[in-house]
Amino acid sequence: MSIALFLSVFLIAACGLIYELIAGTLASYLLGDTIFQFSTIIGCYLFAMGIGSYLSRFLHRGLVARFVSIELMVGVVGGFSSSLLFLAFAYTEAFRLVLYVVVILVGTLVGLEIPLLMRILKERFQFRELVSHVLTFDYLGALGASLLFPILLVPKLGLVRSALVFGIFNAGVALWSTYLFREQIGRSHYLRAGCFVVVALLGVGTIFADRISNAADNSLYADEVIFSRTTPYQRIVLTKWKDDLRLFLNSHLQFSSRDEYRYHEALVHPGLAALPGAHHVLVLGGGDGLAVREILKYPSVESITLVDLDPEMTRLFSTHPVMSGLNQHSLTNARVHVINADAFRWLDTNTEQYDFIVADFPDPTSYALGKLFTTAFYRLAAKHLASGGLIVVQSTSPLFARQSYWCIVESVKQAGLRVYPYHVYVPSFGEWGYVIGSFEPYEPPKQLPSGLRFLSTANVAELFVFPVDMQPVPAEPNRLNDQVLVRYYEQEWKDVAH
Amino acid sequence: MISRRQFVAAPALIGPALIGLSRKTDRPVTGGFVNDSFPLGHRLRDRAAFPKPAQQLRVPIVIVGGGMAGLSAAWHLDKRGFHDFVLLEMEQQAGGNSRWGENEISRFPWAAHYVPVPAKGDSLARELFEELGVLRDGKWDERVLCFDPQERLFINGRWQEGIEPEDGATPKDRAQYRRFMEKIGEFRSTGQFTVPMENRAKASPLDRMSMADWLVQQGFGSAPLGWYVNYACRDDYGALAKDTSAWAGIQYFASREPEEKGPLTWPEGNGWIAARLIDKLKRYLRTGGMVYGVVRSGNTIRVLTERTEYVADALIWAAPTFLASYVIEGAPRAEGFQYSPWLTANLTLDRIPDQKNAEPAWDNVIYDSPALGYVNATHMSLATHVDRTVWTFYWSLAEYRPEEGRRLLLARDWNYWKEAILNDLARAHPDIRQCVAHIDIMRIGHAMARPSPGFLFSEERGRWLKPAGNMFFANSDLSGFSIFEEAQYRGVEAARGALRVVGRA
Ligand SMILES: Cc1cc2nc3c(=O)[nH]c(=O)nc-3n(C[C@H](O)[C@H](O)[C@H](O)COP(=O)(O)OP(=O)(O)OC[C@H]3O[C@@H](n4cnc5c(N)ncnc54)[C@H](O)[C@@H]3O)c2cc1C
Repeated sequence: MSIALFLSVFLIAACGLIYELIAGTLASYLLGDTIFQFSTIIGCYLFAMGIGSYLSRFLHRGLVARFVSIELMVGVVGGFSSSLLFLAFAYTEAFRLVLYVVVILVGTLVGLEIPLLMRILKERFQFRELVSHVLTFDYLGALGASLLFPILLVPKLGLVRSALVFGIFNAGVALWSTYLFREQIGRSHYLRAGCFVVVALLGVGTIFADRISNAADNSLYADEVIFSRTTPYQRIVLTKWKDDLRLFLNSHLQFSSRDEYRYHEALVHPGLAALPGAHHVLVLGGGDGLAVREILKYPSVESITLVDLDPEMTRLFSTHPVMSGLNQHSLTNARVHVINADAFRWLDTNTEQYDFIVADFPDPTSYALGKLFTTAFYRLAAKHLASGGLIVVQSTSPLFARQSYWCIVESVKQAGLRVYPYHVYVPSFGEWGYVIGSFEPYEPPKQLPSGLRFLSTANVAELFVFPVDMQPVPAEPNRLNDQVLVRYYEQEWKDVAH
Repeated sequence: MISRRQFVAAPALIGPALIGLSRKTDRPVTGGFVNDSFPLGHRLRDRAAFPKPAQQLRVPIVIVGGGMAGLSAAWHLDKRGFHDFVLLEMEQQAGGNSRWGENEISRFPWAAHYVPVPAKGDSLARELFEELGVLRDGKWDERVLCFDPQERLFINGRWQEGIEPEDGATPKDRAQYRRFMEKIGEFRSTGQFTVPMENRAKASPLDRMSMADWLVQQGFGSAPLGWYVNYACRDDYGALAKDTSAWAGIQYFASREPEEKGPLTWPEGNGWIAARLIDKLKRYLRTGGMVYGVVRSGNTIRVLTERTEYVADALIWAAPTFLASYVIEGAPRAEGFQYSPWLTANLTLDRIPDQKNAEPAWDNVIYDSPALGYVNATHMSLATHVDRTVWTFYWSLAEYRPEEGRRLLLARDWNYWKEAILNDLARAHPDIRQCVAHIDIMRIGHAMARPSPGFLFSEERGRWLKPAGNMFFANSDLSGFSIFEEAQYRGVEAARGALRVVGRA
């Protein structure tokens, strides 16, 4: 009997700590700044527990029934806390409000548990013994939870499911209590029925946990942030989930290590493999060095110039063990020259010519970035093409942002180049588009470097075929004085998001 | 699988929120008054004694005043293959109201900062822009067309795109905007409102009423429309709508029908044009010498500066017309000409103020401000990332009578104007004082001709348009309002007249 009692203390203590850890972890994942998140969440949580303990004095009669219903409430609020927080982050602007409300609510309820339980048990044990046992199991529960959480729960269950499972434990303790203290509460059908309902609810939640996290997870860093830095130019975030590394710039996913080879092979090889005599290559943007990694597969290429705005970005991808591993140390290769400069201005003040130019800029989410997708930019880039040379432009999604995509194609065309649009499927991005611009007629390559994981001579020509739902739509060219692209883009991605 | 899309920018918000907690104290701002020209002007007004010039030179044509009008006159003479002339400018730097400055961040304008894309009918402006490589085969160079976003307005606590007030406009307001634009369309189709104005302007009763009265007469009672029209008058003429001729007010809207989204602009504003003209014409240009006297003797004209006396066959007076009576012997006072005083300031920002999710535009206007807003010099930069910039702040002291405004300009010290400017900007940019390092202020007493009601079709303006024998008047103020195209037109017209005098028509 007493073992059973103290086991429930152990469990509720573990549950309480788990909710707190989940809130802290989630907030750190989503907002960054781990120290701030954990400190404020632990602080609020402990303070709320204090409120709960204080409030316990106002509960007089029917203590067991009260205890059972509080357990059920903890189970529901705590169990659904991570689902709620993910969804709040994805769909509302009030994430932090929801976060602290949840933390305070759970904290207050958990604060009520132990004082109530002690009062329920005070008839059965000596006070000295009671305090010692309850607190011992309380602290043991905390230890168990804090070990279980990083080792088992997060990797195996994930945040959404862990919370739900521990919610079920709370409900289980409630149900169990209706048996343990049956003399004290007499008829307790309602309470028991309540317990079953809560368990069922949380059970269903567990089954749908993947859906919930997918719904929220589309573009969030639901994974562990292994690196984050704010530079004068952008916020760089690298996340890791098992073997999947993801890079976010200003919250926009740049690549996932699971499928970036598709994106980068498609960016580089259709153009470069068609230029057997290419010696000098220019990469604009692309400070992650992944496009450069692909270009280095061509022994004929003598020099690669990489122009990226952010020195921190190229430094990281040159020196950080994980990141430079991804690009196979491309940025420190002797053939590669890294220049940190604003691409448009840099091109404007330089006269060198290149056989192959890669324009791999972030999507045109602002008028500032939109400049890099204008007729004026392509006209300038075209001046830097050696005779017979090609330029390839990453051009957003022809499926989600169809008019934006064809607007970029039109802009390259208006700069006086022949255009060869193509696309590829990258699971983490969806359908993605590119366009090759060239003064001479272009044909997809008949040969490719060895060791590619996605492209083959059999499928490269297929990239240039557009299914009906991605085929050209009328679009104005994007010009410096009239950046239609930024407006198309904003509208189209807004439509996709809703 | 929607990935690169923008979603709740929570991670980006927390940083600034934390920084916001530790509000930095205001920083000291350096600066002062620059380019003051009134000490020179006052010497003329007070008929101070000037030293006798040491040398005499015989030059067939002398141009006085190296602003856009004088430079355009010189441009025309040179293009016609006539090289025997000088262009005299009292300041060290030519350009007049199209002067510019430069610091380690950017070049910036001191006054004129744009030219609307010239219509097909404005052949002179198009000729110049073709020569400067801005117009090629009928296509305007994208890099000098004002980049997107062009204008924005701070209203109701937030920025909107464009300066026609949209935020908070009622359906009634919108209906009035539409009717106003229809009316303007009708005026445009009369063909009488052109640039330059003299091409097709016809005397009209509209010139005898004020723009404000015209709005009332037409039943335009919408407050935001009233603000917008008043803003246009303050911005282009330095005068309130109630002090502006309705003809001029309508000209502002009806004369333009751009073939291309513009305007033309450069980091240094119209200083870009001035600099190119100065470079082409430097061999004729004599700066740093004020013309203090012009005396007829027989068929020649003696033009006096402190260093040299020029003896000319023809004179082009491209300095402001009101100065003629102080300098040219026997010239009448230009009584009807009124000039608005202006204040411009160039602010050096070594941090960009928080934009609250709105992208900075080229022209940034604050609703209901007495000033006109600011133009961002780095807007025309090709860079995607700018961390320092220069803003040119414009303030026509339109609510004062011109003399009062000029008195105020001189009476208040730099600190007063600096505070006024920062307080005005703080309404839209609360953190402005943590961003501004330096403010240079330029006071221009007679900055812009004012098209007061009745002036445009007055006899007096008509008199000054005619040459006085072999003296030709060329300042843009002869058009009743000064803009680049008017200065260019007046300068070229005067040059044509002068060429006739010297027998080279
Ligand atoms: C704040 C401000 C903003 C403006 N913005 C615009 C704009 O955006 N777009 C636009 O088109 N227009 C603008 N203007 C109008 C501008 O005045 C005209 O564009 C044009 O520059 C006028 O040229 P101007 O040659 O007629 O006159 P000024 O520029 O006044 O030139 C007269 C010249 O004569 C010189 N001078 C005077 N007296 C003497 C003397 N005794 N001896 C020798 N030299 C003398 C002066 O130093 C000056 O250089 C603006 C004006 C102001 C004040």
